[in-house]
Amino acid sequence: MSGRSIIRDALRDCLDRHRRRPAVAGGSEALSYEELGRRIEAAAPLLPAGHVGFCLANRPEYVILYFATLVAGHLPLLLDANFNTGEIEAIRGDCGLDALVMERTKAETLDLPGKGEPIPYGDEVVVLPLARDAGPAFAPRPDTEVCRFTSGTTGRPKCLEFSGHAVVSAARNWVLGTAMTVDDRTLCLAALSNGLAFNTSLLSTFLAGGELCFLKGVPLTRPVARRIAESGITRLVAFPTLYRNFAAPGGPDPSLLAGLKHAISAGAPLWPDVREEFRALYGLDISDYYGIAETGPCTFERDADHHAGLGQPLPGVEIRIAPGAEDAPGTGEVLVRTASMTSGYLNHPGLFEARVDAEGFYHSGDRGRMIDGRLHLVGRTQDHINVAGRKIDPTEIIAVVSALDGVADAVAFPDEDLNREALVHLVVVASTQEVTRSAVAEACRARLAPYKVPGRISFVQEIPRNGIGKPRIALLREQLGTRKETVA
Amino acid sequence: MNEDDLAAMKKRVQRLVYMAAGGKIQEEDLGHHDTDLRTIGLDSLGYLNLLEGLERTFGVSIDLDQEEDHSFLHTIDNIVRHLLARRGEAA
Repeated sequence: MSGRSIIRDALRDCLDRHRRRPAVAGGSEALSYEELGRRIEAAAPLLPAGHVGFCLANRPEYVILYFATLVAGHLPLLLDANFNTGEIEAIRGDCGLDALVMERTKAETLDLPGKGEPIPYGDEVVVLPLARDAGPAFAPRPDTEVCRFTSGTTGRPKCLEFSGHAVVSAARNWVLGTAMTVDDRTLCLAALSNGLAFNTSLLSTFLAGGELCFLKGVPLTRPVARRIAESGITRLVAFPTLYRNFAAPGGPDPSLLAGLKHAISAGAPLWPDVREEFRALYGLDISDYYGIAETGPCTFERDADHHAGLGQPLPGVEIRIAPGAEDAPGTGEVLVRTASMTSGYLNHPGLFEARVDAEGFYHSGDRGRMIDGRLHLVGRTQDHINVAGRKIDPTEIIAVVSALDGVADAVAFPDEDLNREALVHLVVVASTQEVTRSAVAEACRARLAPYKVPGRISFVQEIPRNGIGKPRIALLREQLGTRKETVA
Repeated sequence: MNEDDLAAMKKRVQRLVYMAAGGKIQEEDLGHHDTDLRTIGLDSLGYLNLLEGLERTFGVSIDLDQEEDHSFLHTIDNIVRHLLARRGEAA
């Protein structure tokens, strides 16, 4: 990273302007902007120079050490806290990691070569220095200030590079587009490594002069509701499952959510009936915002009385619909141009650029249409599987399974469980009896992050394929639907 | 608690685990109540649903931050023992 940091400068401006106001709260910590600034400055010298990976659940220490990394002039890489050792090693090889910020207990059990002596930061968090045997395979662009990750193939998460300009633009446009103010207190329950949380909570809250709050522990509806009431939370940033649990019978007392002004859901599509039931119970519409890892936030519904679609484009966001040959009138691929786009994939040069057209529009792979200025999605053209907001490349799973002796063929595609949660459905053709459902599941659990492990495993005699060898998923679904005894 | 009540409670917890996992775990895999649920595919989302289900079904509040040892969630037997201990009953 170059000496100048646009994010650091934007943050310092916030810290100066809002000194006495509450900035961050979580667990037993509650910091004003002034205290946050002091903690950031004090933490900066603790961090080893270079690339600092964050493999940590949401907590005030995350915010302090993230901004401390920028203040120190280093590069933060925000890893999914669920990444396994193989994925961390892959990132280390591709992008370089000089340190990991993580929970002390996880650092103790992490089996990585070149682990240094952990530097404690409070009672529960450490900075774990890592020795570099060789330089990373890829060097970040000079203006890259933050890296985040999205699923890649063969266990190598794709590293998205973001310039400071892109990060600050995303935060500013979110503040403007959602009318965020100093009076807003955001309870962020989505992981900060996720684009949803990163863009809607981390810097945007501070740009507005608001307060960013975290919940210690598991996000069950009762503690979440209590926290909303006790802390005067005005914005809840969460995921569809939490809203479903709120809307289910026996949920928390609606009066606890009376102060909530925005309930924001993203990461995965929200079920329409959950939206309806939540509104009926709590009198609040859930804003089902649309964003893409590569482009940042794209839409938001500003009109509380408008209940259809994913909202209007945020400031600085342009959306075009590019009709394909088989699309219904008005429908097509969603193309997006924003000021908050990634600069590219650090470890997959050219891949992002290939999906951006001459006018700078990113071809999302989503299909949709605009109705009354709102984006409505109708499907996807890409093969990624979205599980709880994490995009999974099925080829990664197939690569793991195909390496097993006795697996003749395999395919993975999106499916749903009984709770309508998205899952990966893996279909295997086995040439020996040794290939059992438990053996396949065990192999996946050993080599893949937990969210990538197939939730359903089926066996068939043959996977139907078309003339060019592409699996015929619709036909396979039909076959499996008629042969339930083979579905795990 | 007598044997029948204990067996019925285990069945209720077993059903909650099955529902929490969204059917991703086979009913027969849940028949052995000493099986570690993590090894048969109960993931973090499943645990989230299970904790919600336990709270609402048995009227207990489970705060994992207050529990140093989380092994009470690892098997159906352990969950039942924990619920009974919270009620002041012996398994």
